[in-house]
Amino acid sequence: MVSVVKAAVGRLMGVCRTHCLQKGFSHSHLKILSAGMKTYEIPPDYSNVVLPAKPKLKFLNKVPNLKKAKKEMKKLRDIQGPAKAANTFTVGQYAIVAMGGGYLHWGHFEMMRLTINRKMDARTTFARWRVNAPYKPITRKGLGQRMGGGKGAIDHYVTPVRYGRLIVELGGKVELGEVEPVLTEVAKKLPFPAKVMSRESLEAFQKAQADMEQNNQNPWTFKRIALGNMLGIRRVLSPFDLHNHGRFTGKFHIPGRV
Amino acid sequence: MAATLCAKLLPKQGWLPLSVSVRHGSKAVTRHKRPQHILKQKLLAVTEYIPPKRDAPPDAYPSKIKREEECTGLMLLIKEDLKKVFQDHKMIAVVQNNNSNAEDMLTLRHRLHKHSISVKFFPNQVMRLFLSDSVYSSMAPLFIGPTVLFVSKEPKVREMLSTLRASPHMTLLGACIDNTLLSVQGVVSYSKLPSMTVVQGELVSGLTMLTSHTVSVLQRHPGHLSALLQQYVKQQSAEDASEAKTESAT
Repeated sequence: MVSVVKAAVGRLMGVCRTHCLQKGFSHSHLKILSAGMKTYEIPPDYSNVVLPAKPKLKFLNKVPNLKKAKKEMKKLRDIQGPAKAANTFTVGQYAIVAMGGGYLHWGHFEMMRLTINRKMDARTTFARWRVNAPYKPITRKGLGQRMGGGKGAIDHYVTPVRYGRLIVELGGKVELGEVEPVLTEVAKKLPFPAKVMSRESLEAFQKAQADMEQNNQNPWTFKRIALGNMLGIRRVLSPFDLHNHGRFTGKFHIPGRV
Repeated sequence: MAATLCAKLLPKQGWLPLSVSVRHGSKAVTRHKRPQHILKQKLLAVTEYIPPKRDAPPDAYPSKIKREEECTGLMLLIKEDLKKVFQDHKMIAVVQNNNSNAEDMLTLRHRLHKHSISVKFFPNQVMRLFLSDSVYSSMAPLFIGPTVLFVSKEPKVREMLSTLRASPHMTLLGACIDNTLLSVQGVVSYSKLPSMTVVQGELVSGLTMLTSHTVSVLQRHPGHLSALLQQYVKQQSAEDASEAKTESAT
């Protein structure tokens, strides 16, 4: 009788042990003990970051508020060359920077506004426009019209953007990693190539260009030859090439040129 | 525009003029990249950026300036713990653990706990820091790779070796027992040493061997002693005779 009880208990214990071992089997292969020195990164300090009252991008009008709209000449030189205005950071930390020239119309603005306002966290981030609402009128003639008969009517308005201009600035209590996917999504849809940059990365970018100019081993530079009109090369160069030292052609920026 | 102007000049269809001007045809700013004059293309090719020559890539050779590692507070705390461990415990063995699970570690710890040996984990970085400052600086080459410390207040080497034999993934690298560094062979020979009492007894017996032997001989029958002495004298004379023979031969 006692032996039977003992056998039963033994079998139970065996079952429990196998069950525990099985459980332990699945767990023991997951955890491998090691002692490495873990260095902890200090999280960034956002104590001196002030969030404005209206963090989201404001609505921009399709048409400027003018009494009388005047038709304008095409003036494509507002796309040409590098940007002189709005090419540095003001309030934010991260921005979309244009890497080429182009026109932004109301559709682009709405896309940017809606995507950024939807995807950003209004409690920790704020966004600001760095381009104006469309102000340049673009005219179009009706469908099937023959040449002549005057300039067409104003169809829509656009904003010209040059290479190096900031489009949208983001700031607040966020790091680049949080903001980058949102901004790259928007940057891909713009009509010109655009890049997401932070303050530091823009500085580094500009510094890299300056370093390239500094340590160029080639004694012959575009600037030197164009300025001196060596070989009469001004015959095939425009004054624009002279200003921009061969780094731009039309609205395109040629990377790697110094 | 060029095609319409030159329509009358081209005698037959498909005849391209010898020289093509690119100074007109499209505006300056176009959606496509305008075809560049060959001279401008040549100019751009000649004035390309040439980077400064580097003999070796920047990471090929280690920098001459040795960067001093910043000691974090956590490292200092662990160093204090280490100091205490080295002060309190007589036996400190360094073991390398390869691919041990939590289950294996648990069984090992249980077996060692029965003999009051504890298992300690310390980061190698902190270990090297501590060892460079302390007396045990020669132990530094032991701490490479995943190492574990077996520490105990009493040097229980035999039990530790038996436990290590049971676990194949743990390899003994060395030990510091009673402030003496021992290699693996040293540890094994240490374990084979007899205990203190046994050694003391052997020493005492060795010292008193002669006197005890004399006592035993005297305690026996005096006839036995006289027989022994006679045999000794015979042996001595035989040796003298053999010595004299060898001297006369040379």
